[in-house]
Amino acid sequence: MGKHVITMLPGEGTGPEICEAVRRIIDHTGVEIVWEYEDIGLDCLDKYGTLLPEKTIKSIAKNKLAIKGPTTTPIGTGHKSANVTLRKMFDLYANVRPAKLIPVLKRPWDKIDILTFRENTEDSYAAIEHMVSDEVAQCLKVITWPGSYRIAEFAFKWAKANGRKKIQCVHKANIMKMTDGLFLEAFREVAKKHPEIEYGDIIVDNCSMQLVRNPGQFDCLVLPNLYGDILSDLCAGLVGGLGFAPGANIGDNCAIFEAVHGSAPKYAGMKKVNPSAVLLSGVMMLRWIGENAAADMIEKGMNKVLAEGKTLTYDAGGTASTDEYADAIIKAMK
Amino acid sequence: MSTLTKATTGRAKRPAKPITLVGVDVYIITENGIPAFDDYGAFKIEFVSNRGTKVWPGYVSEDLMMVNWYRCRFMATKAVTDADVDTFLTALSKKWKWSAAQKLWNYGDEAGFSKAY
Repeated sequence: MGKHVITMLPGEGTGPEICEAVRRIIDHTGVEIVWEYEDIGLDCLDKYGTLLPEKTIKSIAKNKLAIKGPTTTPIGTGHKSANVTLRKMFDLYANVRPAKLIPVLKRPWDKIDILTFRENTEDSYAAIEHMVSDEVAQCLKVITWPGSYRIAEFAFKWAKANGRKKIQCVHKANIMKMTDGLFLEAFREVAKKHPEIEYGDIIVDNCSMQLVRNPGQFDCLVLPNLYGDILSDLCAGLVGGLGFAPGANIGDNCAIFEAVHGSAPKYAGMKKVNPSAVLLSGVMMLRWIGENAAADMIEKGMNKVLAEGKTLTYDAGGTASTDEYADAIIKAMK
Repeated sequence: MSTLTKATTGRAKRPAKPITLVGVDVYIITENGIPAFDDYGAFKIEFVSNRGTKVWPGYVSEDLMMVNWYRCRFMATKAVTDADVDTFLTALSKKWKWSAAQKLWNYGDEAGFSKAY
């Protein structure tokens, strides 16, 4: 394969040290990558007056591929979230989050292997809010037919390409008959085109309970934005928390891979944070660009280190630094 | 105690702030792409968004999927009243089909409406 040009967005807080560890591991696979480092997040405010500088936008627009460390959105300052802006700007409508059991982390279940496909651009996240009186706030939940259709289509195509068997649409259409009803209707329409994949639907509250009681029954879930936001974190919690939760935001012409967790500023510079979430996001990215052998190599190396249990970061019960953990993975990849 | 009295006193009250009308969000339905507007005097177009993403003015990704429903934010160019909003919407209706309009108020110094992404 040829050389890949990828925008690297280290973010702030612990982001730069995590991303550096991840870059070293990915480079060790031998895949030819030119990394274009760009700024994003809180540290940009003083320098550029924005969380998302124009130069960064141009790099992503050119490369159509980026990996991102954690960033923080300041509360109550009027600054728009860099994450949400990127999703909207590049129409990254599919948020894909795998939740798979991590061997070293003891969990009460034998099997969890869930893929969530969260619609990433609509729902209550359309930023249409009004104080309609001094006592009443209103948020418009926007669900569209084309928006619902394309996330369902994306999920079925992904499932087919990755050997998944079943997709369920998660909704509350018994109550929100127009909005969630439209989402479900589009899902069913798409499902008819993919008879090789089993499909069904489940009401979001029941789904939440079932996930906690018996997560092994689930394969792929397609969700509107708000339920997807909440349940994808629930799934991450089932398998080991956000330290091991990778994610991808994908559109028709651009993809950004990122960890789900925050920037943990209190640990910045201490090099103790687990880089696994960004690393697994990198593994997803390598598969996305067809570098499956490199992705397998990293995954095997990481699983070996976790199974040995000698070089673990604090959240996994060890004392290793970010760099020591990365070095152990690199060694295990040989 | 009358029903009205009960309705207005038997609940928690948020401290009131002075309310100022500062604009209108109008939701326009069109199949002809991002709408462009005439000069409406008391109200001036500030932005147009589609599914919550700002599509005018400024950069719009070629990849962005849009639907036939646009939120168009018009801000007042002077002190305005409800009657000005009526006049404005009557003028707007001559050219555009719209599904809803939402008055924009400031509560004290704070805007009672969100920005678009």
